[in-house]
Amino acid sequence: MALLFRKKRSRELVFIWALLLPALAVYLFYRVIPLVWNVVLSFSFWSPGKPAKFAGLYHYEEMLFYDDAFWVALKNTAVFMLGTPIAIVLAMALALLVDQNIRGRSLYRTLIFLPYPMMIVAVGIVWRWLYNDSVGLINYVLRSLGIIDQPIPFLESYDFAMASVMVAAIWQIVGFFMIIILTGLQNIPAHLYEAAVIDGARAHHRFWRITLPLLRPSIFLCVILGVIASFTSFDLIYTMTGGGPGLATELLITYIYKSSFTLSKFDYAAAVTVVMFLLFLALALIANRLAGGDAGKVDIAD
Amino acid sequence: MATVEFRKLVKRYGTHQVVHGIDLAINDGEFLVLVGPSGCGKSTSLRMLAGLEDISGGEILIGDKVVNEVEPRNRDIAMVFQDYALYPHMSVYENMAFSLHYRDTPKQEIRTRVMEAAEILGLQDLLDRRPKQLSGGQRQRVAMGRAIVRKPQVFLFDEPLSNLDAKLRGSMRLEIKKLHRKLGVTTVYVTHDQIEAMTLADRVVVMNSGNIDQVGTPEDVYHSPQTIFVAGFIGSPTMNLLPAKRNGSATIVVGEKSDFHVQLPAKSASNTDAFVFGIRPEDIAIASGDPEDGRVHVDGVVDVVEALGPDTLVFADVGGHQVTARVRPDVKPDIGQPVRLSLDVSRAHFFESESGKVVS
Repeated sequence: MALLFRKKRSRELVFIWALLLPALAVYLFYRVIPLVWNVVLSFSFWSPGKPAKFAGLYHYEEMLFYDDAFWVALKNTAVFMLGTPIAIVLAMALALLVDQNIRGRSLYRTLIFLPYPMMIVAVGIVWRWLYNDSVGLINYVLRSLGIIDQPIPFLESYDFAMASVMVAAIWQIVGFFMIIILTGLQNIPAHLYEAAVIDGARAHHRFWRITLPLLRPSIFLCVILGVIASFTSFDLIYTMTGGGPGLATELLITYIYKSSFTLSKFDYAAAVTVVMFLLFLALALIANRLAGGDAGKVDIAD
Repeated sequence: MATVEFRKLVKRYGTHQVVHGIDLAINDGEFLVLVGPSGCGKSTSLRMLAGLEDISGGEILIGDKVVNEVEPRNRDIAMVFQDYALYPHMSVYENMAFSLHYRDTPKQEIRTRVMEAAEILGLQDLLDRRPKQLSGGQRQRVAMGRAIVRKPQVFLFDEPLSNLDAKLRGSMRLEIKKLHRKLGVTTVYVTHDQIEAMTLADRVVVMNSGNIDQVGTPEDVYHSPQTIFVAGFIGSPTMNLLPAKRNGSATIVVGEKSDFHVQLPAKSASNTDAFVFGIRPEDIAIASGDPEDGRVHVDGVVDVVEALGPDTLVFADVGGHQVTARVRPDVKPDIGQPVRLSLDVSRAHFFESESGKVVS
């Protein structure tokens, strides 16, 4: 031990590892081990309290060739993900608006950002009330304006359920995207626009040739965060629709939950999780590659 | 190429006026430098000329045409910014070609013009680089390239060398001067650096708190400053400015303690009593023997001596006022010791302290 502390370099190493270890331990126990265990599980037959048996690709075959619910959940996840580009376009428009020199712009910024830090379960419950067909505000307003005669049971309808949860999801994240894009906007030096004005570029040229290219890292950061959110939006779906009606709002994440904790098919759920993990990894890599490998960075010389 | 004219040009922000109705006529092909301390309105005036700031009052004319309501892109000007303002996501080539895309220039013509500009500025090997991959001097050259491909009527420079180190600044100064000689385009150049102003300008415009104090050749503003401000601003080290009072009809007394008498210029019609006496450091020497004609001797104490190489600066306390003398490098007075300075009062300047104007 005394030897270990003699050299400056080894003293530094001990110090570094001492600081790293607690975080690494948490990471190992809550991330790495479950992930490895999950992969092992997906190749096994296993239910709680029984020894595991090797199953090979059995669960994967079932999932890909015989389980329609999996494909519905996958398709729904893809549809749900389309909320991200919509949210980004909205966030961009809002960011451009609140970047103007308008009265009370910090108030607007705060109001638009406000939903993001709210607990998602609370967001889900509020929106469930808004959508309610007998006491919901949305139906009340639509009926008062004479747009509809009969109340629409948004969350109980096959036609509206998916769109309705997507609206809630977009509402919740748009403020966060707006802040990211606003930060990107404010990092673009004013002189660039002045140079472009003198160079003869009109407002829409300046947007397409300067603003948008320089916002690319911010936008792709939003894309990645949006993809993550759509893969992990368990709480929102669970509180609003529970995946229903039928499978109308079933996402991969809620399907995994149901397979394991409702149907006790932990081994099967593990296989779905592996597929979801791989899809997610692929999308994140593609998004980061498209962002030039530096999502979130502000690309300004100097 | 074109002339530029300011007529009673005013800039106001709310109720706060920063440019107070200035008049200025810039000749065709002239290199004009606006110089002054920060906040004097020089950059604001340039930005109004560029169309980046609204004009609160008066008129700006480019080539005899009032441009107050003309969009920047239609003013036929090009501007070089202090921080270069290069588009970071575009190559050097694209940066230089950018403006031509918006002027319906054919592709082939764009190529020819960018290549031409690149050759003039020695940028041929850097055309594919991004601004990030360039040094400060190279970036500044790209910014100038972007301006010259346009072949504009007027070049505007807004403190273009301020972000460069001293050595590079010197060489870029030369390049700008050569470029102007080669292209002959009317140029308006803003700087707070009087050396840049003196070396580059055909004419210098000295601005002070939103007004023009003096317009003239570099020699004019150096040798015949019209106000106390110009006298103190142009020249380094600055001109010695000492308070003085009238004593009799044609003489004044300079200083309060270690006084000396000086003749006012012969035709002085000034009837005020308070003056400022100005004399440049190079017009002061260390005295030896009796004063010659046109010189006055004063006694002081040596404060600081700075040996610059080609000459030496002696800072002396004369009756409570600091006086700077630029003397031969072999002269090395001792610090803290009395010194007798010889002032060439034939080269002195006299200003009324109230109006700040020169006594002529």
